[in-house]
Order: sequence, then structure tokens, then C-alpha cells
Amino acid sequence: MKLDWSILWGDAGLLILHGLVVTLQLSAWVLALAFVLGLAFGTLRWIGLSVTEPICWFYVEFARNTPPVVQILFWYFSASYILPGWLFLQLRDFGYEFGAAVVALAIYHGAFIAEVVRAGLNAVPKGQLDGARALGLGFLQSLRRIIMPQALRITIPPLVNESVSIIKNTSLAMAIGITELTYQYKHIDIFAFRGVEALAAVTVIYMILCTLAAGLGHLLSVRLSHHITARRGLRPVLTSE
Amino acid sequence: MQFERVWTAANWERLLVGDLFNKGVMGGLLLTLVLGLSSIVIATLLGAGIGVMRSSTRRALSVPAAIYVQAFRSVPLLILIFWAYFFPPTFGVQVSKFTSVLIALTLFTTAYIGEIVHGGIRSVASGHIEAARALGMSRLETQLRIVLPQAFFNMLPALAGRYVVSIKNTSLAFLIGLADLTEIGKQIGARLMTAPIEVYVTLLMIYFVVNRGLSLLMRLLEDRSRFNRIFLRI
Repeated sequence: MKLDWSILWGDAGLLILHGLVVTLQLSAWVLALAFVLGLAFGTLRWIGLSVTEPICWFYVEFARNTPPVVQILFWYFSASYILPGWLFLQLRDFGYEFGAAVVALAIYHGAFIAEVVRAGLNAVPKGQLDGARALGLGFLQSLRRIIMPQALRITIPPLVNESVSIIKNTSLAMAIGITELTYQYKHIDIFAFRGVEALAAVTVIYMILCTLAAGLGHLLSVRLSHHITARRGLRPVLTSE
Repeated sequence: MQFERVWTAANWERLLVGDLFNKGVMGGLLLTLVLGLSSIVIATLLGAGIGVMRSSTRRALSVPAAIYVQAFRSVPLLILIFWAYFFPPTFGVQVSKFTSVLIALTLFTTAYIGEIVHGGIRSVASGHIEAARALGMSRLETQLRIVLPQAFFNMLPALAGRYVVSIKNTSLAFLIGLADLTEIGKQIGARLMTAPIEVYVTLLMIYFVVNRGLSLLMRLLEDRSRFNRIFLRI
């Protein structure tokens, strides 16, 4: 079979660029929402109130042990049963696929981020909280000013890995017809029979995106742990997923 | 909630074994498990090789391994599945759906397991390696008898996590039309039409039970004395 790369400079290229924009939008929304969810649930689990613990456990374990694509299908197909009728009808006019994918992926990755945040909080020595409380800071104040800054610094490398896997998992949104990169490949394959070229282009774009995200995250973690590096003469190492 | 519409005997049979008994086609949970477990076994073996290569001091070994890991970790699994399924036909070779998902999933998981093995090997204290070399063990012997057994126990929690991800990832097979658990669930949902919550909750519950079971089993292995008692008869 002869490959014709020139099609990437025409309409197919525009479709892929459009897909790239959608992928980036989806990733940004999911990252922001998942971070909020993860921070909230991770902190709650760290505090460990007996009232909230079963709910947090259920959320984290259920979200982490089930496939993201089934979660996407669940939120997409049951939206009309879960949401009140008037809201669903409003959403349907604009297309709620994007929202369903954002919600599902944010819930999925939020659970992973919650565990990361909890581990980071646990890594801060207990004496830090006791010291802050003894100096007269309230609980929330010591959490925000003393514990969180130390914990988040430790969690940067795993959070970077999580954002890379968020970018990769946005490809699952094609299951409900969101026009992101992977969907555009299918589209070009079906309508122009130029699957291999489109697939190669999409693969390269994903590689660049993920490498960029990992590199930026590495820079961030080097910057944030600069004081530790300077003191101990160590270089921080990116941990694997 | 009308779970009784989903939980009929016929639906359970399709969810668990697909059309195995009436058409002889494996499907459902059985296919998911066969796919997931075989890719886990192959990827663990290949990943151990990649991890050992990656930890080698010879650049000719460590650089290709590092490139492999980096390349396969920065592409979505779905894209790999599409490569494995749609690329061979351009050479006139038709790969079955099962094989292509198995190849893609295995290559993808191998990269992650290689990284886990690499981390495990690095976690073994260098004094142990130096002591083994000083006692006259060869490089290979040091790896096989000193480094890898210790690394193995350090890797177990990360490996357990990766295995669960592999089982979850088999659900992508439905996007090229393989009749795995997710595809069967989708078909049942499409036939019932008005019970999506019930269908997908059932699917999520099955996946949850399988994955929780797998991680609990792996946790049993983490107890070193129990591991020795069962597998090494010590």
C-alpha cells in the first residue's frame, strides 16, 4: 500500500488540529476537577473521621478498581435518569457528551490523586501539626500553611504522572463520540481511507504532548524542591507510575 | 431500579462466558480474564527483561530499554490497539481482534513493568551486590541469587497495582468489537434500552469484585514467610 503523507496538509490535518484542541480542553477540565476532588477526598481520608471514612473508602476503591471507559459509558447513558428532567433537556440541546466524559474521567483520576495526596500528607512528620497547633494556629490554618505546602511538594512527581495518564485517558472519550484526537483518526480512516497516515500523526502528537507534560512537571518539581537540592546536594528523581 | 430485568439467567450466562455454550465463542468475563491474565504473564516476563536491561551499566543495553519504556508509556493504549488491529492489513496480514488486543496490551504493560523492575533492582542496597561480587559470584549469579529475589518483594505492591490496571484496560477491547465483558454489557443495555444504570452498575460491580480479588491475592504474596512456605516449601 502506498502512503500519501500530503493529505495531512489538507482537511485531514485540520481535523487532527481540531481534535488536538478538544483533547487539550478535555485534559485541562479533567485535571482541574480531578485535582479538586483528589485534594478534598485525600485530606478527608488523612483526617480520618469515622463518619466520612466509609464514604471516602467506597469512592476511592470503587473508582480505582473499575475501568474508566465503563465509567464514561455509565455517566453518559444514565445521565437522563440521574439528572432532573428540565436540566437534562437543557444539556441535551448543547450536547452533554463532553460534560459526561469530564465528570467520569475526573471521578476516576480524582480517586488516584486522593491516594497520592493522602500519602503526601502522611509523609509529613506528625510533629509538624502538633507544633503548629501548639503555636496557636487553628486546625485548618495549620493544614493550609504548614502541612499542605510540605505535602504537595512531595506529591509533585506522582501528580505529574497522573496528569500524563489523564492526557492519555482522554482518548477513551471517543467511546461516546467526542471529537478528540483518537476520534479524528477514526473519522479520517473511514471517510478518506488514510488511516495509517492519520494514526501516525496522532501517535506523534500524543508522544509530544506526554513528553512535554512530563518535562514541564520535572522542571516544576526541580524548582519547588530547590531548597532541598541545594542543602543535600541531591537531584530529585521522577518516580515511575 | 429494575435489576431483575438485567439479572436474568440468560444475561448472566452472556456476561460470564459470552456465547460459549450456544455458539462456541468465548466472551464476557471469561474473555476478559483470559486476555488480562495472559497479557499479565507475558508482560511480566518481557518486563523483567526490559527492567534488567534498563538497569545494566552497558549503554548498548540500557539506552534501547529506556527508549522503549519512554515511547510506549507516552502513547494511549487505545492508539496501540488501533495500530495492532488496523496496521497489519496494509501488508495483507489479518490479525484477529483477540491477538491484536493481546499484543497491544502486552507491549503497553511491558513498558510499565520494565520501569517497576528497574525501580525494584535499584532499591537493592549496593552493598549486597558488592559483597556478592567480593565472594566470587559472577555477574549473572549475583543478579539471579542476590538482586532479583530481593527486588521481587520490593516490587510486589507496584506490580499488584499494574495488574489491576491491565485487567481494567482489557475493557478497551470493545472499541474494536471484541466481545469482552464491556461489549456484552453494552449489548444487553442496547437490548433493554431503558435500564442503563442497572446494566452499567452490574458491569462496574463485576469489575470491582475481580480487581479487588486480584489485589487481595497479590497482598497474600507480600507476606514473605507465607510466600516461602507455599512456593519454596521452606
